[in-house]
Amino acid sequence: MSKSKLGAQDKKTLGQIVQLADGVVKAAASRRDPYLDVPSRTLSNVHYSRAKGFLEMGKNSNRRHLFNLNQAKAYMQSMLVASKCKMLLDAGKTASLRALFYAAKHTIEGAREETFDDQSECDGMIEDMEVTINALREELHLYAEKRGDVVGEITVVDRGDEIDCTRMGSGGYGIPSIVEPEVVQFKRCDAKFVLHVEKGTVWQRFNEDKFWRKHHCILTHGNGQPPRGVRRLLHRLHNELGLPVYCLLDNDPWGYYIYSVIKQGSINLAYESKRMAIPEARYLGLRSKDFEECGLSGSVKISLNETDRKRARQIAKYPWFAQKKPWQKEIARLLENGFKLEVESLVSKDISYVTEEYTPARLRDRDWLD
Amino acid sequence: MAASQRDISVSEFFAKNRHLLGFDNPRKALLTTVKEAVDNALDACEEAGLLPEIWVRIRAAGENRYQVDVQDNGPGILKKQIPLIFGKLLYGSKFHRLRMSRGQQGIGISAAGMYGLLTTGKPVKILSKIGRNKPGHYYEIQIDTKRNQPEILNGRGEGDEIAAGERGRQAIEKLGIEWVDVDHGTLVTIELEARFQRGRGSVDEYLELTALANPHVTLHYTDPEGHEKTYPRVTEALPPEPKEIKPHPYGVELGLLVAMLKATRATTLSQFLTQSFSRVSSGVSQRICEAAGLSTRAGPKKIGRHEADALYKAIQRSKISAPATDCISPIGEDLILKGLHQLVPGEFYAAATRPPAVYRGNPFQIEVGLAYGGGPTTHRVSRESLVELLGQSDARTLRQFLTGSFDGVGVQAADKIIHEAGLRRRMTPGKLSDAEVLRLHEAMQSVNLHDGQTMSVLRYANRVPLLFQAGACAITQMVTSTNWRSYGLSQSRGSLPTGPVTVMVHMASVWVPFTSESKEAIAGYPEIQRELRLALQSVGRKLAMYLRRRNRVKHEGERRNLFLRYLGEVAAAVSDINGADRAKLFDQLLLVARKKTAEADVRLNDRGRPVGEGLEEFGGSVIVVDPEASQASPPAAGGAAAP
Repeated sequence: MSKSKLGAQDKKTLGQIVQLADGVVKAAASRRDPYLDVPSRTLSNVHYSRAKGFLEMGKNSNRRHLFNLNQAKAYMQSMLVASKCKMLLDAGKTASLRALFYAAKHTIEGAREETFDDQSECDGMIEDMEVTINALREELHLYAEKRGDVVGEITVVDRGDEIDCTRMGSGGYGIPSIVEPEVVQFKRCDAKFVLHVEKGTVWQRFNEDKFWRKHHCILTHGNGQPPRGVRRLLHRLHNELGLPVYCLLDNDPWGYYIYSVIKQGSINLAYESKRMAIPEARYLGLRSKDFEECGLSGSVKISLNETDRKRARQIAKYPWFAQKKPWQKEIARLLENGFKLEVESLVSKDISYVTEEYTPARLRDRDWLD
Repeated sequence: MAASQRDISVSEFFAKNRHLLGFDNPRKALLTTVKEAVDNALDACEEAGLLPEIWVRIRAAGENRYQVDVQDNGPGILKKQIPLIFGKLLYGSKFHRLRMSRGQQGIGISAAGMYGLLTTGKPVKILSKIGRNKPGHYYEIQIDTKRNQPEILNGRGEGDEIAAGERGRQAIEKLGIEWVDVDHGTLVTIELEARFQRGRGSVDEYLELTALANPHVTLHYTDPEGHEKTYPRVTEALPPEPKEIKPHPYGVELGLLVAMLKATRATTLSQFLTQSFSRVSSGVSQRICEAAGLSTRAGPKKIGRHEADALYKAIQRSKISAPATDCISPIGEDLILKGLHQLVPGEFYAAATRPPAVYRGNPFQIEVGLAYGGGPTTHRVSRESLVELLGQSDARTLRQFLTGSFDGVGVQAADKIIHEAGLRRRMTPGKLSDAEVLRLHEAMQSVNLHDGQTMSVLRYANRVPLLFQAGACAITQMVTSTNWRSYGLSQSRGSLPTGPVTVMVHMASVWVPFTSESKEAIAGYPEIQRELRLALQSVGRKLAMYLRRRNRVKHEGERRNLFLRYLGEVAAAVSDINGADRAKLFDQLLLVARKKTAEADVRLNDRGRPVGEGLEEFGGSVIVVDPEASQASPPAAGGAAAP
């Protein structure tokens, strides 16, 4: 991909990187100490915006100087990462985090020191770069391992290849790590909503039962805590195609947390909530009332342990749950129950109970948490 | 006054009390002999206002026997006096003479002569000249021990006169005397049973330390193996002559007071007091007499024991002003620095001379010098010198070679080096292969020996080194109890600190108090301890400043290295991104780096001012050495290491 074919986003990102470098040149020319203002990625600098409905980074930043004994190395590493990202952008290629680490790692001339000793150092620098120039990792052409699959009534074009998600067989289409508009475009969509489940095994159930065909939807899973690619895809489907997103997760604090991240964004990556959070995402289940409502057998209960309880109470305090009565009731009921339930436990009623009865009923009755 | 001559047979006394006089063992006997002779020589030259030059020769004269020759360029001794000085014990005793002098500590050269006589039967030989054109005199003297009188053995009991000029020189040669041709001076030769050994408490050590504290002396030393060493003087200035003072009432004990009363010529008590003591006016003496309940006009010789006791107590209770302190002549900070710098390797020197103080009525003054650093001698040896030393060495094992050839290298240190070089302790030094020599050299450069080194403490009383009983000495105790940790050295509780540091402490006084008759350890009077502490703290502070500054410079140097490393990377990265001129950017960033790490550019030139930064912050009296200026040269093989 030659430079002229760079998309608008790429051009923007490039421009920001170049701006960084220009800053250094300017500082050096006026004999000043070059520095970077890196927004602070700590808890104290993360706020929940009620108006927008997701987590945002605050204004705090740390100034990183070149001529400061403690920061010099970090500064150097930042600039090095920036230059390698530019290299990727220029080449129109992507690379894994580890690949970038290798690209940037070398022995400093005239010293016995390496630029990076550990990949974790490099990963940290990449995240710093993301927040400093306000570009997602994907926009820097960096990807992590992909996870999650999708089937459903949608056709996409992925790097020029047309993917019809209704014809993905039992395996489904693996959601790529980078689903930016430059890479993945939506060609045609007949789906009416998106159903996101927690586990691949649950997703299998839904795919085998062709739930998506019956109910005209897109079926995704994230294999636990969904990676950025999956969240980004959900975000795009919701925002660009106006599809509501429903989540079917386990009835436990971990499930609540997954939902919370999909909905509000994560503290860790608060800077990208804007592009990943789906405040209108809905929580279908499993709910703490379902044991009774569905009449499940006692054998499928899993007792809550101390960590679960602590976590549940923590989540109840999240600003976006704190004000919502239904959520408070939900969590209180869970604690009252003293047990948690997995989605797969519904199989104790019937193999396809979850696809044929449970989920359709919830959708029909609009019985969800928001 | 005091020190009346003993009435018992002197030889008996001497035989029973050799240890009191410094002759307890053969090794110490040699040392004491040299010490007495050298001290006398120094005192004589100084009193005559001459810059001293002294020759010391020690020669083996049979099994366990040595001949000691000490010659000076002093004023010479009058013919009449020679027999008395060398042939009579305690003649011209400086006991209880309140004047800062070296001889206070010794029984005199005559005792050495007597010891020589007792152990070898040989007399003392003296050759003395008082002027170029005056005849010299040569005596062979021994002491008649029963009567404590000199016996002249040559010249039919009258000694020999040596003509001036060429004839005299020939005569001297015929007599077999090794006389350095000076216009005036004295040569003393004593042959005694002794043992020559290097190391602690040796003649080598004593002479080196003496040179250190007496920078106006030039000292030539020839040891029994024929090695010659010269310690040249570092100053042409003689120290000012100390004055003799009358004793201060506070310092006089009851027994001495009684003796003084008996011996005085004064006719009234009041006269006695004002004449015998310093700082006693008639008014003060009146007060004392009143307080004792005695009449001012009482006859001193009629004072009984009981009244003397009352008088003593009254003196102690009365308010008498402190004695004048101008009777002491210290070495001085400048000369201490010069002397230390000459003799002790180092990169930093500091000195402090306290103002005079008083203990029990005796004026005294404390001076301290400190030398720090100077890598262990192993660091400074070049490959070629090492090869030379290995070839010359007669040490049987590598370990012996290392400990024997280099100052400050003990067994532990040697082992460390050998281990680092991958060699074995028992290898023969002369048979190392080239590759092994190379490894040894590298190990010597890289092994840090500072960890093992303890602070050396050099003690002096009236410019005379104190070699023994360090543990009992107030100086050592004060040095140990000083908190050197706050000055940048590591120190475990109750021990001397570790590090490449030497401290020299000098107490100058009209009367130095010793803990025992052997006069090797100074007694710890509170006033003395206080002065010691303050002096040590003063040099400690300067050391701390230096260490801090040195670390700062090193730190800054490291900082700059750090930045320099990253600058290249940053310049490359930026250039990759926006196409800026990489070399130009690097240079610009370099300038900023320079600005930020200006301290690293501070250079210390030899013995003084860092460029652009003065030594004022030290408050004077320091020497800072530029390490590059001190060249690597082979260290002295063998010989006494500075203890």
